[in-house]
Amino acid sequence: MRSPIAAMLWELWRVTRAEAAWKQALGVVVALAAWLVSAAFAPVWDKGTASLVSISLFMPHIVGWISLAGLNGGRPGFPLYLHYTRPIRTAVMVGLPTAYLTALSFAIYLVSAFLLRAASGYPFSVLPAAAWIAALALVLRTITWSTRSMVVLQLGSLVTLFAGGPAIGSRLDSFPNDVGYPLTDYAVMALICVFCFGVTVASVTRQRRGDSQAAIARTPARGWREWLIDQFRFPCPTSSATRAQLWLDLKFNGLPVLTIGLALAIMILLSSAIGNPFDAAFADEIAARSSSCTNADCFYARAWPLLLTPLSLVLVLVHARNAFGIRRRQGRAYMSVFEVTQAHGTAQLALLKVLVRSVCVLAALIAIGVSAWISVPLLGDPVFIQVWGMPLSSQLPAITGAVAALTWYEQLSLVVLAAVGVVIWVAALAVFGAFRIRYSRRMTIAASSLLLAGLALALLVLAAHKGIVSLFVFYAIFAAARWIVLTAIVLTMVYVCWSGFAERVLTIRYASGALATSAAFGAAWLTVLHLAGVQLAGMSATNAISLVSPALLPLMASVLAPWSLSRIRHM
Amino acid sequence: MEQTVVDVNDLSRSFAGKPALDGVSFRATAGQVYGLVGANGAGKTTLLKHLLGLLRAATGSVRVFGLDPVRDPVGVLSRVGYLSEERELPEWMRVDELMRYTQAFHPNWDAAYARELLETFALDPSKKVKELSKGMRAQAGLVVAVAHRPELLILDEPSSGLDAVVRRDILDAIVRTVADDGRTVIFSSHLLDEVERMSDHVTMIHNGRVTLSGGLDEVRRGYQRSRVRFVEHFDQPPSLDAALAMEGGGRTWSVVHSGSIERFHHSVLALGGEVVESRDATLEEIFLARAGRSRQPVEVA
Repeated sequence: MRSPIAAMLWELWRVTRAEAAWKQALGVVVALAAWLVSAAFAPVWDKGTASLVSISLFMPHIVGWISLAGLNGGRPGFPLYLHYTRPIRTAVMVGLPTAYLTALSFAIYLVSAFLLRAASGYPFSVLPAAAWIAALALVLRTITWSTRSMVVLQLGSLVTLFAGGPAIGSRLDSFPNDVGYPLTDYAVMALICVFCFGVTVASVTRQRRGDSQAAIARTPARGWREWLIDQFRFPCPTSSATRAQLWLDLKFNGLPVLTIGLALAIMILLSSAIGNPFDAAFADEIAARSSSCTNADCFYARAWPLLLTPLSLVLVLVHARNAFGIRRRQGRAYMSVFEVTQAHGTAQLALLKVLVRSVCVLAALIAIGVSAWISVPLLGDPVFIQVWGMPLSSQLPAITGAVAALTWYEQLSLVVLAAVGVVIWVAALAVFGAFRIRYSRRMTIAASSLLLAGLALALLVLAAHKGIVSLFVFYAIFAAARWIVLTAIVLTMVYVCWSGFAERVLTIRYASGALATSAAFGAAWLTVLHLAGVQLAGMSATNAISLVSPALLPLMASVLAPWSLSRIRHM
Repeated sequence: MEQTVVDVNDLSRSFAGKPALDGVSFRATAGQVYGLVGANGAGKTTLLKHLLGLLRAATGSVRVFGLDPVRDPVGVLSRVGYLSEERELPEWMRVDELMRYTQAFHPNWDAAYARELLETFALDPSKKVKELSKGMRAQAGLVVAVAHRPELLILDEPSSGLDAVVRRDILDAIVRTVADDGRTVIFSSHLLDEVERMSDHVTMIHNGRVTLSGGLDEVRRGYQRSRVRFVEHFDQPPSLDAALAMEGGGRTWSVVHSGSIERFHHSVLALGGEVVESRDATLEEIFLARAGRSRQPVEVA
């Protein structure tokens, strides 16, 4: 490869090819699903459904290129900073990846939208939407590459999405249907692209000249996260290794997540408190903009807590990932050598890391939940009726009464279920992260197999619905699939337990604790099933086992977490 | 009787089908300093990672203090101090937090010694690790590795990033102190003068195999470097008994050879030459000879 341009393109392709493949695969899957749904339940395409499907195609491109962002640990700044020392002009260094990524996004969306349109028979927007998606992604990329401040990045992205989104929306009057744009729109897009390119080149030139080192990722704790860590200044205890590890995990893994949760909870409460006065102050203006509301029921700011609450819950649950503190640099994922060479038992280390993260995530979720609960009466019924179709505000006493009517052990069961559920979620994400490092190829094969199996089952459902396959065959295949999955899970668990004990990762004491937790969770699960009116007595064995099987999740999580940590600690 | 601290037997390990270690056996006893030398990618770090349990033995066995470091990480790591090649430390921690955190894992932490080392290195305890230079980071890593007075100190390329004064005076002193206390040091380095200066034993690894292992004096005594002169002109290195590497050209050649000196002299005489001078080979000459990099004739101007 004699040309630096060819070398850079090759590098970009190597970095992004897997992501490009799954983004395109997602487009194909969405199109296939649309075809299945159309074939089974036609006609289903109203404007709302079509919008949702379109957004599922937009999102991967709006999120950006994760593989490229991973080069500097997902932090703001130019990710191809290793090019700074190469004899390439900054304009080329920026222009080439910009053009490559924009073209790739454009092409992937174009193919996906075209397939979707052909499969569903609905007139989805293809070319104009692809052009706007590419332009919006370019603006977001410019913000990400031009600053190294996470605050500037987040504010800039929010402004772009909330100001740019409606601006684009006003052009897409018949969204998601296809529209013909005047040439001036494409001229505006071209101007946006040129402006973004200029801004990015100027910013990257500054980064290249002065402070390129700052863009280099070393650990996950940089920027706002490091600022958060700095806010908790309490000394590391030296009395025991467990306490010291607890201190490390609390500071590094736990308290930042809790702080984010608390900040979101406060935001929900504040937005609820100011929602009524804000909407009252601007009632006439809001009523003038919306023809569907009477002046008394018009709202704008009051809708924010309703959107913010589920978003906050999702955000906190996403922050539950990576409890083992896996680091990433230049495509390499690894555990901190410093941490894994400390004299800690693997099971104890895994338990501490998962529990600390779980407790903080749970506390954050509770804070958001409490804040939302307090906010409900402040918002009033109209907003809930319009957004969720139910008068939640006036139903609060009924909900409180229903909870109060439960017996103490039913209430305890719900608490146990929620708490252990969060621990299972955190452990599952940690295990998944560890397996992705240790068995990346096998994980890809397993995920692809599961996807294919899911598609095959969907086709089977469709075939049964159309009467192509008899119900007997359908139920036989479905039951066989369930038994195969169950057998695979049981055999995997037996192997993991056996090798865990053989390698001394698991101890009798640890296993006893895991069994006790599983028993408590199992009892809580059965209580909740009973509460929901499920009677196991009259069921077939397969259905009863399927319903009871979630009770084994804590046992699986508590065995798999240390086992997977052991796999990345001792590679 | 010598107490065995590390016992590695027939250890093999491959990465993506490429052997990194191939049937390596290595033994270390208490109170000795062991230097691992080898070219980049020879397998030094891979061997050290096996001793720490960071890698599992694919075949063969690894025992440290008679324990398997993978099965019993607490038993092994509580008695080991380790300085990694990447100097990887938690960047968000301050130096004093780093000290306290490490102290918690080692009941025999010597706070006075840690303080003394911090002062020697002029490390500010209130500074964050990420604010330290590469050399200062190496110094901080060295303090946490040695301040609990480990029974086994493992240093991976300890000189990397350290200036000449620290390397020669402080690092040497630390390593000697550890060994004099009856504890063991295993370090890897590609600075052969450093290995020659610091270690009692040397193990040479080349392409994942141990090509040479023994006491430093014993190794050096086993190899000579001789200058030989021939009557005849040789375009290619002449074939001499026990010769490992030859440099030179024409009538004069420098030869690194092992084994019997008499046998070497006889083979030189048999080709009509004479040994002009002979001395013990340096470790660098032995390393280059064993690594097979100096067999090519060098043009003499």
